[in-house]
Amino acid sequence: MRLNRLLSVFILMLGFCCHIAQSNAQTVDDATLRPLVQALAGDNFENTTKAISDLVKTGDPRVSKILDALSAGDLYVAKADKTVFLGKRDGSDYAATDALTGAKLDPVPRSAAEKIKVNNRLRRDIAAAIGGLTLMSDNIAERRSAAEAILKTRDPESIPLLDQAIAVEKDAGVKALMQQAKAAAVLNSDAADDVKIAAITEVSAGNSRAALGLLTPLENVQGPVGEAAKAAIDSINTKLAFWNAIQNVVYGLSLGSVLLLAAIGLAITFGVMGVINMAHGEMVMIGAYTTFVVQQIIRTSAPGLFDYSLLIALPAAFLVSGGIGVVIERGIIRFLYGRPLETLLATWGISLVLQQAIRSWFGASNVQVGNPSWMAGSFDLGLLTLTWSRLWIIVFALSVFAILQLVLKKTMLGLRMRAVTQNRRMASSMGIRTPWVDALTFGLGSGIAGIAGVALSQIDNVSPNLGQGYIIDSFMVVVFGGVGNLWGTLVGAMSLGIANKFLEPFAGAVLGKIVVLVLIILFIQKRPRGLFALKGRAIEA
Amino acid sequence: MITQWFFTHVDRRGGIAIALLVAIALLVPLSNLLLPQTSPLHIPTYLVSLIGKYLTYALLAVALDLVWGFCGILSLGHGAFFALGGYAMGMYLMRQIGPRGVYADPVLPDFMVFLNWKELPWFWHGFDNFWFAALMVVLVPGALAFGFGWLAFRSRVTGVYLSIITQALTYALLLAFFRNDMGFGGNNGLTDFKDILGFNIQAGTTRSMLFAATALFLALAVFVSSFIIRSKLGKVLVGVRDAESRMRFLGYRVDRYKLFVWTISAMMAGIAGALYVPQVGIINPSEFEPANSIEAVIWVAVGGRGTIIGPIIGAVLVNFGKTYFTAAFPEIWLFALGALFIIVTLFLPKGILGLYGSWRTKLADRAARKKDSAPPPVAAENVHLPEPQAAE
Amino acid sequence: MKAQDTLLYLDGVSVSFDGFRAINNLSLVLQTGEMRAIIGPNGAGKTTMMDIITGKTKPDAGDVYFNGEVDLTRHDEAEIALLGIGRKFQKPTVFESHTVEDNLVLALSGPRSAFSALFHRQSANEAERIEDILYTIRLNGKRDWLAANLSHGQKQWLEIGMLLAQDPKLLLVDEPVAGMTDAETAETAKLLREIAKTRSVLVVEHDMHFVRELDVKVTCLHEGSVLAEGSLDFVSNDQRVIEVYLGR
Ligand SMILES: Nc1ncnc2c1ncn2[C@@H]1O[C@H](COP(=O)(O)OP(=O)(O)OP(=O)(O)O)[C@@H](O)[C@H]1O
Ligand SMILES: [Mg+2]
Repeated sequence: MRLNRLLSVFILMLGFCCHIAQSNAQTVDDATLRPLVQALAGDNFENTTKAISDLVKTGDPRVSKILDALSAGDLYVAKADKTVFLGKRDGSDYAATDALTGAKLDPVPRSAAEKIKVNNRLRRDIAAAIGGLTLMSDNIAERRSAAEAILKTRDPESIPLLDQAIAVEKDAGVKALMQQAKAAAVLNSDAADDVKIAAITEVSAGNSRAALGLLTPLENVQGPVGEAAKAAIDSINTKLAFWNAIQNVVYGLSLGSVLLLAAIGLAITFGVMGVINMAHGEMVMIGAYTTFVVQQIIRTSAPGLFDYSLLIALPAAFLVSGGIGVVIERGIIRFLYGRPLETLLATWGISLVLQQAIRSWFGASNVQVGNPSWMAGSFDLGLLTLTWSRLWIIVFALSVFAILQLVLKKTMLGLRMRAVTQNRRMASSMGIRTPWVDALTFGLGSGIAGIAGVALSQIDNVSPNLGQGYIIDSFMVVVFGGVGNLWGTLVGAMSLGIANKFLEPFAGAVLGKIVVLVLIILFIQKRPRGLFALKGRAIEA
Repeated sequence: MITQWFFTHVDRRGGIAIALLVAIALLVPLSNLLLPQTSPLHIPTYLVSLIGKYLTYALLAVALDLVWGFCGILSLGHGAFFALGGYAMGMYLMRQIGPRGVYADPVLPDFMVFLNWKELPWFWHGFDNFWFAALMVVLVPGALAFGFGWLAFRSRVTGVYLSIITQALTYALLLAFFRNDMGFGGNNGLTDFKDILGFNIQAGTTRSMLFAATALFLALAVFVSSFIIRSKLGKVLVGVRDAESRMRFLGYRVDRYKLFVWTISAMMAGIAGALYVPQVGIINPSEFEPANSIEAVIWVAVGGRGTIIGPIIGAVLVNFGKTYFTAAFPEIWLFALGALFIIVTLFLPKGILGLYGSWRTKLADRAARKKDSAPPPVAAENVHLPEPQAAE
Repeated sequence: MKAQDTLLYLDGVSVSFDGFRAINNLSLVLQTGEMRAIIGPNGAGKTTMMDIITGKTKPDAGDVYFNGEVDLTRHDEAEIALLGIGRKFQKPTVFESHTVEDNLVLALSGPRSAFSALFHRQSANEAERIEDILYTIRLNGKRDWLAANLSHGQKQWLEIGMLLAQDPKLLLVDEPVAGMTDAETAETAKLLREIAKTRSVLVVEHDMHFVRELDVKVTCLHEGSVLAEGSLDFVSNDQRVIEVYLGR
């Protein structure tokens, strides 16, 4: 219907002029407005269209709300007195409010009122009208959403409107958005080729995914526009692929950091002592529960310290898990040295006991560990949105790694531990008390697991099963990275994390994980001792 | 003739075990089916199934001991072979349901109809035939074990590394079988079976027959294990367990020996799984849980690894304990199981049978010393364990 | 010298572990039927040389030929053993949970496939050979003993017995008399001389009395290569050998 279309352009122009004329949205008194609202309940769509245009002309801020309601089908007209009201179904009645003032009216029985009908064309007109109304609104959020609305409808008729709005817009962000919207609308119009090509450039500078949506339909157009669109699509795709890769890397690094945290303690106990500690996951779990307890105490006795709860939990978790580790080493593991398979079984037993102990104590279900404020929220990096917790985990894991390297390289304990790793018998004959080194090493490995638990409590459910979820992955990291070398663990963890994230889009999370497991199984065939294996007779045993 | 042949391959203890198993294969069903319920010797059907389940575990334990006890390969993934055998049997039982399913599709199992699948996936074909399914019960775990073992043993992955990747293997399968689009019923698995070989799977007679079959298969497994262990091949395996590289310098292709016994063991585990499924009425991915496989290891350790009947005793005892505890004191069970792991590895490295064995030799020792003749130190009743080597 | 006509031929062999050169351009030739004693200080690379010959360690460079034609670097331990090279280890390694007799049964030459092992039945000939060996190594009274219960010296002998059972062309014997009494040492020397009548032998030993009793050509290794070679008197008078090994 050509006429209708013209009419709607007319409405928009009118609405727009009103705005310009009044510069700031002005209220019109109710008496003027009410008949116009009543007119919405016209007998046919054409009358309704006319009424909309009249309403828009007033430039009253309440108009957009009324039009919204109309478009949503919430505007009713009472059969008896033909008053128009805002209705909401409530049993057999409509809960009614005045369309203008929003005052509460008596409920109207459903049989006594009729919905004002709208069709799709009308709805589009309304959307455009509202867009026009609010493009010039005082409220920046409204202007923004108006521009976004046009970006969605891409109505060519809103172009002049946008031009005017852009001219007076002060906010850079909103202005850019309006320009985007205009370009989108231009692409949807039958403007000249060069105008469209300029618009393509404009569009592709903005949000890449939205731009793809706008440009794809143009791709097959003959002539320069189609070519420009194709080129733009290609460059956007390259850009997206690039950011996608970055995202995979960043997500992979953060997954890798989690793996690193979980595995690094294991690498120490396995690397130095040749002990497979199946209860390692439970040390992580205990670290997470320590965080919970610390937070509970803070909540009840010093709520102000909540943001520091993790900092307090770190040493606590280290001591608790580390202490338990020393007890386990002295009580059980030291009797099993040289029998790695038995150690594996005994530590599995320990893990069952610890799990059940925590379950009896704290219950089988998840406990709530809170995130301090600096952990919450997210930030943008290029086309990526990253959560702070993701970033902090990476930073944290790397710092733990660095500190541990320092401890191993620069302290007496580290020196002794390395001596024991390389040649246990020689070390003990040189007067190093290997049992003591073993206990401390095991304690250190367990303590680090506890620290890992503090970090994991922020991103995972804290339940008695927490550790079980990580144990196999951590073993894979250690096996992949090679024993006796922390760099191997770092590289192993990060490459597994990244590999997982790159596989996920093709294979899905679960299948990706399976693929990684299978790849590791195959990898061990080639390098049975991992990426960074120590060589030598001592290891062969 | 036959008895002579039998006893060259089975020792006295194995012979007793086989005789006992054959006897209960006959007596338990008879007691269940023929004796009146009031009789004190009547074994109720639920108990028949329960013991039957224990015996399938025992079969798994015997299989595990064959590789761990005699060849030093600690598998933390034997549950995977058990579950694969179970799935093969479950697929047969699924196909037997036919149009009696909820959706009454003559061919497709319910879960496929539910997933809107239009036709049977290729790997479900043939499973309507019992003998084909029975073949798959051994072939699928056998093939997986062969492939995995071929890769692992050839590149000399041993010790804890091997244990860990066997665990990863079962974990990968666990994840895979949880997926609906794998075509094995996702996390619900396969269940609601109706009949097996035309007999109602719930009926007391069927249950008794399944029990008898389990006991007989277990007896067969004891025989096969004894046969292997008492052959020269068994000696090679024990040699591999104690000094693998020495065996190589004698000219043995250690990887092939390991592969042989590993594959046989996986097939036994598959049979155990296949007998387990009809008796418990369900198979789902949780059977692949790494924890299950490790639990099987403790059965072997408790009974006495490196012995043939120790694992049977261990499996039955531990599972009896589990049934009892999880019903009576559920919160204590994990404590008990965990403690069992610790105690057995610390104090009972040779298991119950080892304890009995060393007690016997001590008695024999004392008796001999009385006679004042130095006895030749004989192996403590089948228990061959290497001295713990110094940490290196 | 050419590899042909020799039993064992090592030329320019080098191997290093993490940058440390354990064997350095080592060349050594053994003729068929020859017995050779290898001496040298700790860490000279004697055991590592045996590792290379038996396929346990792959050399980084150099040729290792057996029988003049078989390139040993291309074979693994089991294949090399089947070619006819037997080895006794420095630290005696016998199968502790097997009886003395079973240790010999396992070592006895014959088919090595898993299948033949499964259905193996001892032939009269095999029983006789085991009997002979038990007698030779003086363990016939202890055939049913667990190897774990043997003394250190007896284990050494059992391992030599296993070597005999393997029926190799070349025996590599690493420190056979460590931990033996003088009488036992003399016995062992006698036994080795006996063996050397029909086979080639390479013996590593630190015990100079023992080496003297063997009365064969001696090679002294030092830092992975040959320092001196010749009769024991010749070698033990070599100035450098005295410096690095014999002392004073
Ligand atoms: N697999 C290995 N990894 C690292 N170093 C090794 C390895 N094998 C040998 N070495 C080193 O090579 C050197 C030579 O060792 P080898 O055992 O051959 O000496 P040896 O002559 O047999 O000494 P000994 O008389 O004490 O037995 C030693 O320094 C040893 O540490
Ligand atoms: Mg040496």
